[in-house]
Amino acid sequence: MSLLRVEDLHRHLGEGDNRVHALRGVAFSIEPGRTYAIAGHSGSGKSTLLYLLGLLDVPDAGKIWIGDQETSRLDEEARTAIRNARMGFVFQFHFLLKEFTALENVMLPMRKLGKLSETEMRAKAAGLLDSVGLADKGRRLGNQLSGGEQQRVAIARALANDPALILADEPTGNLDQANADRVFALLRDLAHTRGQALLMVSHNPELARRCDHVLHMRDGMIVQPRN
Amino acid sequence: MSPALLIALRFLGARKRAMLMSLTGIVFGVAFFVITQAQTAGFEAYFIKTILGVNGMVRVEERIQSSRSLAASEGSAFAIAVEGSVKYIPGIQFPNKVIEALHGFPEVAAASPVIRGNALLLANFREYDSKPYGIDLASFLAVSNLEQSIVNGRLRDFAGNPYGLIVGARIARRLNLQIGDSVLLDGAGEPQRFRIEAFFETGIDQVDRERIYLHLPAIRTLLNRPTGVSFLQINLVDPALAPALAPRIQEAVGHSTMAWQDREKTWLQVFSVLRVSSALTISTIIFISGLGMFNTLVMIVVDKTREIAILRSMGYTRADIGRVFMFQGGIVVALGVIIGCAAAAAGTFTLSKIPIRIRGIFASDHFVVLWDPWHYVAAALIATVVVLVASYFPARRAARLEPGAIIRGSSS
Repeated sequence: MSLLRVEDLHRHLGEGDNRVHALRGVAFSIEPGRTYAIAGHSGSGKSTLLYLLGLLDVPDAGKIWIGDQETSRLDEEARTAIRNARMGFVFQFHFLLKEFTALENVMLPMRKLGKLSETEMRAKAAGLLDSVGLADKGRRLGNQLSGGEQQRVAIARALANDPALILADEPTGNLDQANADRVFALLRDLAHTRGQALLMVSHNPELARRCDHVLHMRDGMIVQPRN
Repeated sequence: MSPALLIALRFLGARKRAMLMSLTGIVFGVAFFVITQAQTAGFEAYFIKTILGVNGMVRVEERIQSSRSLAASEGSAFAIAVEGSVKYIPGIQFPNKVIEALHGFPEVAAASPVIRGNALLLANFREYDSKPYGIDLASFLAVSNLEQSIVNGRLRDFAGNPYGLIVGARIARRLNLQIGDSVLLDGAGEPQRFRIEAFFETGIDQVDRERIYLHLPAIRTLLNRPTGVSFLQINLVDPALAPALAPRIQEAVGHSTMAWQDREKTWLQVFSVLRVSSALTISTIIFISGLGMFNTLVMIVVDKTREIAILRSMGYTRADIGRVFMFQGGIVVALGVIIGCAAAAAGTFTLSKIPIRIRGIFASDHFVVLWDPWHYVAAALIATVVVLVASYFPARRAARLEPGAIIRGSSS
């Protein structure tokens, strides 16, 4: 069974004369342990698609299956619970909570899930920070870390509840080349080694090519790449 | 600890100065509210204690004679109804019978007969208009605080002297009287000699400058009143029972009966208005603090929009986000109430030690305060309601934020 399956997804954005048909019948599926890139120009519907898949938005038509559960008509509570348990988000900006240390930031999704004790959460968060190369920086506040380090903490946070799907929106868009390469490599390796699927929106064709699959989008549709 | 509470605790530091200002306002509001209530309620309670000690809880006075119809002639069927026409005949002709009837009321703790009149006090070559009160000492002590009011002399000397007097302190000062002085009282044209055995001071100006206590048999001779009494002074097991009991006593004994709450209505209303107006005035401090809290939380919501969005994306519900901001209000108001109540207790204690000489409606040489836990409860309730209402709107605004729109806006 596919980890994620999308059928005939439609989404309009804006009101009145500004109303745009942002997604026009998108359909595809995602398998565990694979990496996917959504590539396309600005306004092609990449981010709109990502937020629909992340259950942060609701489609006008079509279906989104996560495992065997159809989610497009679930209420907000249920969609929020799925996000907490089965998804991890990495955004262009790290959005760390500056009042919390790196370790505490990573623990935030676990606290909401509420399945682990405080000690277990700390140990797991420390392990995740170790896996992103920040074992010795867990006690630092978010604003005491460099841009690359902050994004790696955000990746560790996205992995906190062992999500089946990691959704990344331009995760390297705010980093220099060296840090961008490092962050992407980290995401790809984690996806492969932990059996998680990575779906990444990126303007960067080089990064997109390094994914297992590339979904090209144009005018709200997934299209075959032009040669 | 719930995640929302943990996040709320950390977010509190986001606008430290503004939060501290709101907290300070709540502390001052709660403290001043309690202190002013303790003071006004203290003076009111002391006034009531004084007035009950001097004039009792209930007084049975004139006999009521109701004339419901006027017949044209004796035995005539023709009569004119005179609704509400009531005659009041001064005094109680048969006080013992009335006291016996009062024994049927379990709420009545004690009753004492009193004859009141007017007499000229002649002393030190001066004349002074006084109001002698003839009392039965033993029963009168059970319905008054005369014993506690004695400021000079001894009550037992008065008890042992049938022609002894207890004189108000202001009369004594005006006429330069001393314990043991012999004075004349002229009540019915025949001056009689008495010996001053004690002075009393109630603090009630009017009482201290005109009242004189003497024994019941002595006043009968002085005023030439061989039978009956002017009124019965009654104490109850609970002063609060007086308004309900007075009409029942009146109905049972056929004499007009007045509860202390009706008798002292004017002063009680003055105290009540003072208490309410000070509560309203001080509450404005709490309201302003609530507005400050509202502003601070709105600023935090604006500051933390992206953080709220990321929390929502990682699985925190709208209710969780709302709770983060309600908890912030809750933490500030809890701190404000705790510190405010502690400050109130310290302030009330200090106030009670401040010397101030008060005479007129009662006698006190320092501020009078009332330690009432309900003042603290009321202050805490007002502060809690104000701050939680002020927190609700920013919390609702935070909970309604759409994470997708915010993150998309930040990324572009």
